Amino acid sequence: MANGTWKIARGRNGGQFSLAVFVVLALIVVLVGRAQPALFNRARAYFSDWASPALEAARVPVTTVGNWAGSIADTFTIYQDNIRLKQENARLRQWQNAALVLEQRLKRYQLLLNAVPDPELATVTAHVIGRDSRPFIDTIILNAGKRQAVKSGEAVVDERGMIGRIFLAGDHTSWVILLTDLNSRIPVTIQPGNIQAMLSGDNTSAPTLEVSAQGAQLKEGQQIVTSGDGGLLPPSLPVGMVYWDGQTFRAALLADAATSDEVRVLDLKLPPEQPPAPSPNDLPVAAAGMLPLAPPPPKPASTPSPVATPAQTARAAPTAKPLHKAKQPAAKSKAATASGQDDTSDVQDR
Amino acid sequence: MQERFGIGVFSFLAALVPFLSGLLGAVAANIPISLFGGLVPPPLLALMPVYFWCLVRPDLMPPSAAFFIGLAEDLLSGGPPGVWALSFLFCYAIVDRQRDTFAGLAGYGAILGFATVMLVASVVAYTTVSLLNSRFLPTETLMLEIGVSVVFYVPALWLMNGMQHKIIGPLRSDF
Repeated sequence: MANGTWKIARGRNGGQFSLAVFVVLALIVVLVGRAQPALFNRARAYFSDWASPALEAARVPVTTVGNWAGSIADTFTIYQDNIRLKQENARLRQWQNAALVLEQRLKRYQLLLNAVPDPELATVTAHVIGRDSRPFIDTIILNAGKRQAVKSGEAVVDERGMIGRIFLAGDHTSWVILLTDLNSRIPVTIQPGNIQAMLSGDNTSAPTLEVSAQGAQLKEGQQIVTSGDGGLLPPSLPVGMVYWDGQTFRAALLADAATSDEVRVLDLKLPPEQPPAPSPNDLPVAAAGMLPLAPPPPKPASTPSPVATPAQTARAAPTAKPLHKAKQPAAKSKAATASGQDDTSDVQDR
Repeated sequence: MQERFGIGVFSFLAALVPFLSGLLGAVAANIPISLFGGLVPPPLLALMPVYFWCLVRPDLMPPSAAFFIGLAEDLLSGGPPGVWALSFLFCYAIVDRQRDTFAGLAGYGAILGFATVMLVASVVAYTTVSLLNSRFLPTETLMLEIGVSVVFYVPALWLMNGMQHKIIGPLRSDF
């Protein structure tokens, strides 16, 4: 034991100074790490890339032992499990049929309405090769990285729902920040009611919900899906269900990152949204029925220069008019000229 | 002459043992494989060598070593950088000032001494991260980490005692 059975060395005189220097250095690292997290993230990505073969190798026995230990306990409940699974399977088949019918109907409606189809999702399937649940961070590490086209910010889902998003992509590994992590904040929609909210992790198993709209009422059991705001996460990914913990509304997540083994990384290839070209009727004044006045024709030079001849003045005046007529179709311009309409009526026609 | 050179090399390597064991603790605790199914966080293994050798051989565990071990813990754990480095240095300062008190502890007292230091480290880390996030964080995982670390300190202490007696003591009895 460290109870003085050996002679204890005393600190040197410079020890206190050195300690103070390193405390200051640590504070600087804290502040720089806050301002420039990319510096440290690169080191982490390098480490996970370097250690990924070892992690892959270590994952197999750990998973095997875990499965084996789990299967021992399952042996005692196998009969009840079997009955339960058969009932669940029958229920799910009914739901599957309903879902297929609704999917076909939705497609027909989309065709009828000429609706914009949902954006395509490219997916990368990856194995979980590491988990890290610490007091200040909750992550998993995947065996897919930049070489598999995994990018920061992409959503990660398992077969039940969203579990997090990529926050750091190395060459062939990537780190996932889980929805339960302290630093996780994603925009979500609560259905029914289309209530917009922010899902914020706080290192507990159920992230909190912050409703952005005033007066919106949440109820237990409402569904939470991603809203797709910001264009980074796909919309309508299942996340969880609303529940009240006695103090605040939280999300009971559908996916369980602790047991997820294979996950999918979703790459939302959303094309940049282009606003439609405005037509003249879209102008607020035109829409309100108040047509804008035509700008007055430019005045010819009222103070001719002393050297200007009448011929020069006559040439200068017609040059001003075509400035307004240049935008008109040639035929219309001719018709207007023939009927003797002035510029104002021409603008009204338009 | 050659024999003296060999002793010098071994002596140098022995001097690195405390620092390397701290780094090894940071790596071992942060291998992202959950042996407990994610129910409890891994122990803060990196703090154990810092505490032990700061108490026993502070000449082999200077503040710079505590800083770099803490920084390694920060980098490998994926948490905010510098937080554990700062915490380890706070622990170092406390042990350095109260060395006689901590060194006099034996048996369960020695474990209690580590538990105190672990608590200090956790409070510093918690305060720093709460300040960085501008909100109070839940403490359940931190409490679990303190508990797991104290439990793991018992075998770690036995291991570090062995290293001190078998490796560092004979080769670095220079004071």
